[in-house]
Formats: sequence, C-alpha cells, structure tokens
Amino acid sequence: MNEHRPPDRESAEPIKPPPAIVVTARNIILGLWGALRLLRESTVAMIGAGLVGFWVLVAIFAPWLAPYDPNAQVLPFATPFTEHPEGGTFWLGADHLGRDILSRVIWGSRTVLFYAPVATACAFAVGITMGLFAGYKRGWIDDVLSRISDIILSFPILVLYVVIITTFGASGLNIVLAVIFASAPGIMRIVRGLVLDLRNRDYVAAAQTRGESTLRIMFVEILPNARGPLIVDACLRLGYTIITIGVLGFLGLGLPPPDPDWGGMVNQTRSMATFAPHMTIFPVIAISSLVLGFNLLADGIREISLND
Amino acid sequence: MTRKSPDSRNLDQSERAQLAECHSQLPSLADALGQGKASRREFLRTATLLGLSAGIAYGMAGKLTGEGFVPRAKAQDGTPRRGGVLRVSMNVKEISDPATIDWSEKGNNLRLVIEPLVRISGDNLATPHLAESWSASDDLRTWTFNLRRDVKWSNGDDFTADDVIANFERWMDPAVGSSNYGRFAALRESSEDGSRMAEGAIRKIDDHTVEFNLRVPFLAFPESMGDYPALIAHRSFQGGNWANEPIGTGPFELTRFTVGERATYARREDGWWGGEVYLDGIDYIDHGDDPAAPFAALASGQVDLLYRLNVEQLPAARNMPNLEVYEAMTAQTGVARMKVDEAPFDDPRVRRAIQACVDHARLLEIANQGLGLPGEDHHVAQIHPEYADIGAPQQDYDLARELLAEAGYADGLDISIDCVAQPTWEPNTCEALVEMLRPAGINLSVNIMPGGTYWDRWMTTPFGFTSWAHRPLGTQSLSLAYRSGVPWNESSYSNPEFDALLDQAEATFDVDERREIMAQLQTILQGDAVIVQPFWRSIHTAGSPRVKGFIHHPAEEHHFETVWLED
Amino acid sequence: MLIFLARRTGYMVLTMLVVSILLFVLLEVNGEAVAVKVLGPYTTVEQRNLWLEANGYFRPVYVRYFEWLGNMLTGDFGESIRFRAPVADVLWPRLANTAILGGVTFAVMIPLALMMGILAGMKEGSKLDRSLSVTAIITTSIPEFASAVLLTFLFVFWLSWLPGTSGMTDGFRPVELILPVTVLVLYGFGYIARMTRASMVEVMQTPYIRTAILKGMPYRQVIMRHALRNALIAPFTVIMLQINWLLSGVIVVEFFFAYKGFGALLLEASLNQDIFLIQACAMVAVFVAVTTQTIADIGYTYLNPRIRFA
Repeated sequence: MNEHRPPDRESAEPIKPPPAIVVTARNIILGLWGALRLLRESTVAMIGAGLVGFWVLVAIFAPWLAPYDPNAQVLPFATPFTEHPEGGTFWLGADHLGRDILSRVIWGSRTVLFYAPVATACAFAVGITMGLFAGYKRGWIDDVLSRISDIILSFPILVLYVVIITTFGASGLNIVLAVIFASAPGIMRIVRGLVLDLRNRDYVAAAQTRGESTLRIMFVEILPNARGPLIVDACLRLGYTIITIGVLGFLGLGLPPPDPDWGGMVNQTRSMATFAPHMTIFPVIAISSLVLGFNLLADGIREISLND
Repeated sequence: MTRKSPDSRNLDQSERAQLAECHSQLPSLADALGQGKASRREFLRTATLLGLSAGIAYGMAGKLTGEGFVPRAKAQDGTPRRGGVLRVSMNVKEISDPATIDWSEKGNNLRLVIEPLVRISGDNLATPHLAESWSASDDLRTWTFNLRRDVKWSNGDDFTADDVIANFERWMDPAVGSSNYGRFAALRESSEDGSRMAEGAIRKIDDHTVEFNLRVPFLAFPESMGDYPALIAHRSFQGGNWANEPIGTGPFELTRFTVGERATYARREDGWWGGEVYLDGIDYIDHGDDPAAPFAALASGQVDLLYRLNVEQLPAARNMPNLEVYEAMTAQTGVARMKVDEAPFDDPRVRRAIQACVDHARLLEIANQGLGLPGEDHHVAQIHPEYADIGAPQQDYDLARELLAEAGYADGLDISIDCVAQPTWEPNTCEALVEMLRPAGINLSVNIMPGGTYWDRWMTTPFGFTSWAHRPLGTQSLSLAYRSGVPWNESSYSNPEFDALLDQAEATFDVDERREIMAQLQTILQGDAVIVQPFWRSIHTAGSPRVKGFIHHPAEEHHFETVWLED
Repeated sequence: MLIFLARRTGYMVLTMLVVSILLFVLLEVNGEAVAVKVLGPYTTVEQRNLWLEANGYFRPVYVRYFEWLGNMLTGDFGESIRFRAPVADVLWPRLANTAILGGVTFAVMIPLALMMGILAGMKEGSKLDRSLSVTAIITTSIPEFASAVLLTFLFVFWLSWLPGTSGMTDGFRPVELILPVTVLVLYGFGYIARMTRASMVEVMQTPYIRTAILKGMPYRQVIMRHALRNALIAPFTVIMLQINWLLSGVIVVEFFFAYKGFGALLLEASLNQDIFLIQACAMVAVFVAVTTQTIADIGYTYLNPRIRFA
C-alpha cells in the first residue's frame, strides 16, 4: 500500500553489474542453487527466505496440511484446542461461522500467494517492457512513458485502488489489474534508470555491431544485467502487494468470499476481537510474518549485493 | 385499569356495548378470542386497529383468556430524572425529504421532530399519536381520524387537518417517489402504477377531523400510518431540503445536522403536547460503516447507546461488564430473492431447486446464532397475527437435483448473489447459503458490495439478498414487495391471483376466513419460490446502564421521550 | 533555476490536467449513470432526461469538460449526493481534520525516525544499528489494519486506557489522537529511519568525515557540524514523499477509528459512488501529492550541489 515510496531510491545503490548470462534450464537450477548459497552470507536473508519458504510450502501443500474444509461451518466461536465434533481438534479455534481457523489460514496462504505474485509478475512484465523501451530507445517514447508513469505515481496509492475497485467492482481480476496499473510505473522508473546506465556498456555496443535486433539487445543483453536491483524491488513489492490485498479485504473491497483471504478474515472477525481474539490474531500474524519475510529477504539480498 | 377476577370469562353488557360502539365486528372478535378461535395477539391488534385503546384491549383480552391483565411492557427503572444529553451511535443519513426516506435510521432522525398519526408501540400495537382516536366504517372503507387539538408546530402554527392532507397529497403523487404511494394504494383511483389519488379519497371534516375513503377495504390502514415514511411534515413542506428548515410537532428540535457525522437535538422549550420530556437533548454520532467502531465507542464511554448490535458481537457485549444488552423479537428478515423474469431464475424449477437446498433452522443457527425463528419462504412471520401455519419447506437435495436436471442444469449451475457488506449477518447468511447449495451442484458465489452500490441495484440484480424491515403485519410486507408493479417489488413477481387474494386478505375481518386466505397467499408465494427466506431475526442493541426507560423497538424505532439518564 | 521551477510547475499543471480528464472520463461521460446516482434508482427515464437537460448533459463532451474544469478551478465542486450539501462545505473541514492528524503524526514520526536513523548510521554494524534496523523492518511489515486491531484490543478493551474511537464528538480531545497517530507512526517511521541510516552510513564513509575524525576533531562535533547536514538531504525528499503515503494511510486509520477526516470521506464517497465528491477528493489528493513531490524535487536539487539544474 505504500508502493509509491520509490523503492528505486533505496535499491538503486551502486550494484556491480553481473556478467551477461544465457538462460537455460541448467543455468536456472545452478542459479537457484547459487542464490541459496549466496543467501547464506546474510542471516537476515536466511530468516526472510525461511519465512517466505514456509508460507510457500504451506500454500503448495494446503490440501494435505489443512485438517478440515476451510468453508465447512461447524462450531461457531470455538476457542483454540476445542475438540472437533467429527474428531480432531480446532487447533486455532473456529470463527463466527464455525469454520476452522487453522484450515482457513492455511488455505488463505494460497489466495495471497496466488494473487500477490501473479499481480506483481504482471506488473513487472509491463513495467520492465516499458522501462526497456523508454531507457533504450529514449526520444519521444521515453517522454511519453515517463510522463504517464509520473501521473500515475502522483496518485496516493490507496486512493487509486479504492477508486478503481469501487468503480469496477471487487474481483480477483480487478485487483490484479489495479496492482498492475499502480505498480508498473514504479518498476518502469527503476528499469529505465538501470538501462540508461547499462546501454553504454561495451557488451551492448558489441551486440549492436554484431547487428543483433533491438528486442534481443534489450531483453537478452541488458535485462539480465539489471536483475540485482529488480530482485530486491520484487521482494519489497510482493510485500506491499500482500499488504494491499489485505487492506482491500479489510475495507471490504477484497476478494469475494467465502474462500479465505487473510485481510478479509481480519475484517470479518475484528468486531468480535474482545470476545474471541483468536479469530483475528492468527490471520494478523500470518499476513505480518509473510510480509516480514519478503522485507527481510529484500534487505538481505541488498546487503549481499553491496558486499560483493 | 382495574383487575377483575380471572374466572369471569365473559364480558359484561357494558363492555360489549363499548366494543360494539367502537366497531360492529368487535363483539364477535371477542367471542372468537373467548372460544380460542382467535389468538390474543390477533384480538389486541385488531381491536387497537379499529380504534379501541390499547389499555382497554389488554384488559378485555386478559379477561377473555383468563390470563389476567398483562401490563404493557414498560421498563420501570425507578424515578425518572430530568437532564442530560443522550449520546447514541447511529449512521446519520441524509433526510432531505421525509416522504422518500428508506432507512429506519432516517426515521429515527426525523421522528424526534416530526411525528406520525399512529405509532406502533414496542409490543406491535397501533397506538394513537398525532391522531387522538379513529374509527372505521363497517365495510372498513371509510376511516375517520380525530386529530389532537393541543399540538403546535415549532413555528407556532396549529397542527390541523391541512397538514395531514398536504402530506397525503405529496405521498400519493407518483412524481414524488414516496414508498407511501404503494403503502396507501387503497387511496388511489386504481391499483395501476402511475394512478393518482382518487377524488374525495381524503376529506377534511373540520380542522381536526379527517376522513379517508378507500377504494377497497383495508384493515391495516392505521398500522400503515405508523410505518417510518409516514411522518407528518408541516404543510408548507413541498420538497427541497427538510433539514434546512426543520419545523416539527415532536418533543425535540433539530439543532445541528451533518450527514455522516452528527445530528444533535435539544428539548423543545415551548413544551411538547405529550407531557414531560426528561432528556435535555439527543446527540446522534455517526461512526461510519465499521461495526467495530460503535462498539469500541460504547466500551470506552464515548456513547451511551448503540443503534444496533450485530449478532456476532453479542457474545462480546454479554462478556463486558457494565453493558445493558437489549433484545427484541421481530419480523425483520432478509430474503434471497430471485428475479422471476431473468434467466436462469425465470425457470420456476431452478428457483424451487434452490429453495429445496435450504435448511432454514441451520441457517438461523449459523448466521444468526439461533436467535430468531426459521423462515418459511413466504415473508409472513410466525409472530404476525394473521400467520397461517402451512408448514415449513424441507431440505431435499434429491428433489433439488431432480429439478435442476429437468431445467437442464444436470451438470451444475453457476450463479452469483449480490449482497451488502454491512450489516454482517447478511453476508454471513449468504456465505452459509453457499455451503448449503453446493451438494446439489449449485455453485453460488457471493458478490459482496458496499451498501451504496447494492442499494442502487437491489431492484435490478438477478439474484440479491435484501433485508426487510420489521412490519407488524404480514400483509404489509406482501403488499410492499410482491404486489404486481409496486415500487419495491424487487423480484418482478406478478401474479394477478396473488394480488386479488392480498386485497381480500386486507379487507377480511373474520379471523377464520382471513387465515384461510393467508394460507393461500403463503402457499402461492412459497410454491412459486420467489424468495429463500432464511429466518426472522431477533435483534439486539446495547447501552450503558445509565440509560433508563429505553425499550428496544422491533422496528429499531427510537422513542426517546420516555428515556432518562441516571446520574 | 527559474527555468527549472517553471518546468516543474508546468509538469505539475500537466499532471493535474491529465488526472482531471481521467476522472471526468471515468465518472461523468455517461450522463445517464450520473442522473441515476443523483436522482436515485426509483426515478423514471423522463425525470432523468429532464435533469440531464437542466444540467446541460446533452452538450458535447468537451464543452462539459471545460465547464466542469472551470467550476473545479473556482472551487465549485458540485453537490454531494450523499450529504445533500455543496462538496466544498463537506470537504474542507474534513481536510482540516486530516491535516491535524497528519501534522501530529509527522511531529512524532520525523524526529523519532531521524534520531533512530542517525544513531544507527553513525556506527554501521553495531548492536544498536542491527536492533534498530530489525525493529524498523518488523514495524513496517505489520499492516496498519493489523496494528490498529492489536492496539485497540490492548488499550481500549483490555486496559481501558484509551478511547476506542476518535470522532472528536466532545470537542477536540488530544487523547483521541493517540491511537491513530501511533498506528500511523508505527507503520511509517521505519522507512524514514532506514533511509536516514543509509544516508548517514554513506556520509560517514566519505573522505572528509574520515579525515576530520583522524585529525582528532571531537566526534560529537564531526557529527553535528559536518555529517548531519549532508546526511539529511536524502531523508528530506523522503519526508516530503511521505505526505503522499499519509494520504493512503489515513484511509485505513480514519475508517478504523471513525475519525472524521479526508481519508474516511474519500472511502465513504467511493463506497457510495458519490460522483462529485469522489472527483473533488481525488483531485485534492493528487494536488497535495503532486505539490509535495514538486517541492521535494526542488528542495533536493537545491540542497544537493551535485545535481545541476537540467
């Protein structure tokens, strides 16, 4: 929800450009392995990766981990450790409609870890393309794209979300579109800044003399070398997007029920928090820990890249 | 009221004469009560409608049933104390035209200043207010209302028949768009939409007597005058913004009005016709659409009373020391209504299949904590005096699947229901409904939207969940929502047979006969499966123990002239 | 310098113009929809057409736009549907309330964040630095709605120390500001603190500071005289941009605590599709955001001698 805080100012600290790489399956695996080894340099990054990894695993294995159907209405207001009438236990209690909170938190991680990455990835796809064109081509394309992104970035971000969602209605697709609309300009700014720096490098000049196409130069020669700051920004942005989806759910503008979504769970239950705080506190912990994970990861990666 | 020995089950001659004087049919109604054919509630309601005072009606009912005299529910909380400002948390909505208001909150904001002719008391009886008394002709078509003579408007004018006539003329003008237009359809030339008030439908007998001549007999006429949009504004009000020049007859004067923030009232200095008023003033504070905020305000002593306590907050409220929780059983409800002229709901089999999936008692349990009564899908409540027991619809998934298959949805049906976000029992009910429809292969998605969006489309959405206010009489809601072409007919239901029966029910005096008609009406509506009606709600609110003399009205009406604040 | 100023101002005006066109297209081009909103859903087509005619909705779109823009510029935002009052009458008091909330938040948050950032940045990698950095990351990870729920539970219901809503119904009571300000500060201070820290670290590594320390100048003096001045350039920009963030943050906080401010108003207007009010609120929000951004840019350029007026 505070995406307008330009993370680029923070992440655009000088980072050594890594050499150009070729994308192959082998390289991806090596890259992931290398990334993990790199992360070990930073405790902060490891903790962040641990938190994010935990929730990713929970989301992937939700059907096996969740003890009950997250929408089954069984025992309203059951407190934690209450016995389930069909056997088993409500480890975290049940909500006001009698749904198992543990199962809802587990399934809710799926909702969050689906919409936030999808929305962020789409925003990056749009933002990177815009940024590459603006930074590499310069000229009128740069002027137009930069002006457009300035205008969108001038909106207070939640104001933008609220106006978009209330005008077009709350749905998963609209939330993704709103995130793209609001985030892409910020990403474009970062990419553009990096490209302006990278386009004068020797290997770009070499590619140009080899007669490679503009698209190839932009996406194959330049983009991979801009990945460091972009990864940091992606982590921060994922955190922001998760908060945004949570806030929209909290304001009643989020994903349609009944499928659990953490912000919506907080919103639905908080008026009863005096009586049954367990219904509110667990989704709050879930969302905060996931965002914290992404923020720590971003911080750690930045630290590692600075140490290089 | 003196208490008579309970074994004298029959009324004496003078009492029978009193009844007959009020209305020729009343003695036979009393007999019906004595023989157990009519319920006590029915007798009380009908007798008061026909102009018998509630006190006398209660006394006679007690005598006839042998249950003794039951005093009206009046909270006797010690000696009233004068002074203090009552702070109430309630949404402050715009009230520019009293004739077109559509929320009980707006009614509360207006009712402290302008008043109805008839008031529905906390125990659902029509009691005289600006009208001192009234009487009906034998055919229930001519009604004479005697207005109070001691009522003065806050600008010094006398309250007269002209005020009443001016209001009725505005209400019955289709261009004004008042819901009273449907409520008092009996005053119009015809039941056609767009018809005007009939010539001579309202007549001024003298300055304080008004006569109404109805096209069809209409027993609930006085009751309809107690509904919240039927408040009498000063005769000079002809549109514009009422709040800018709030002239009233009521116990309070509007001193400040800001939509979305505050509405403050001060006791009328020149005195109120109804006697002493204890409170110095009322202060309505708007805490927005967030149900947690009013509760937090009450808990930290920032307000004295809530307008409403959401049912899921009830355990929390009961858990708090120093909170008074009020409850009222009501005919307030919500209906998942289907637009009968839009696919797939234009197929009655689809509607019946949806209906067959519903376990009403379970819905009540899940979404309203079991507080209330299960609905029967015909919008007449068990607590309505004319309710006929035709049996509740049963959950039957086999039937549902069969009907769906017949309708061509053997592979499942994807539908979505529109629903407001607040109050929360509505989305909660819809969410519970989702789970109930799933086993039959109906995939329901809930489209929760802010109130502003929902109330713009509640008349047009194919499938929507609409809350309906408490009304003391079943036929009132049927008339407002299911009669062909009336402004609030949200399902586009149109059935001439139903309309005719409804006219008949409103005009029939005999208890047995009316119950038979009601049974037909309820059966038609239930069978046509226009609505899934989960339950009738008990409603709640909470306040500080300092607040005394407050009764939680089933229609959430605030009658603050009897309320006082303890030190 | 003058050219630079003129250019920034020009951009600002251009941005506002584009935003106004967007809002107009989004909310007003469809006159029929506006009429339904204003007159209510029960009105007939005839009534709506009369209204549309009377309000000039049948004229060409560009004529309507320029008239609308002219009205906006003169402060005539139309009449709110929900409040039945001129938008300006509703808007300005709410904006003033938010200014109070924002002012107090800044008054608490900025000194706190700068102090923490400077302390942490003075000795990079020290225990203090690590713990302050981690604190800042954690508080920034807890969304406002979550901390509002937790703090309310703690201080209102459990301890009964603070009032639960901040409607200022008994006149202006500072105690009602505590919770909303705390929530905003908790979420917001971490970012400024981290920026200040980063800037401070950078400055501490510059040759002239190192030289000053090596020369034996008192440490205090080095920090106060030389380091701070340079280290605060970057945070200055961030602080200005925080005003933009605050306009988002107040929506949640004002809604939660029933504070009658601009954020709650905007949310209310959006939820009720109060078209003219949404337009006015969005324009005001963008105006505030663009103005502060421009000031931030100008200030940054002015403070930082390394940047030439391009």
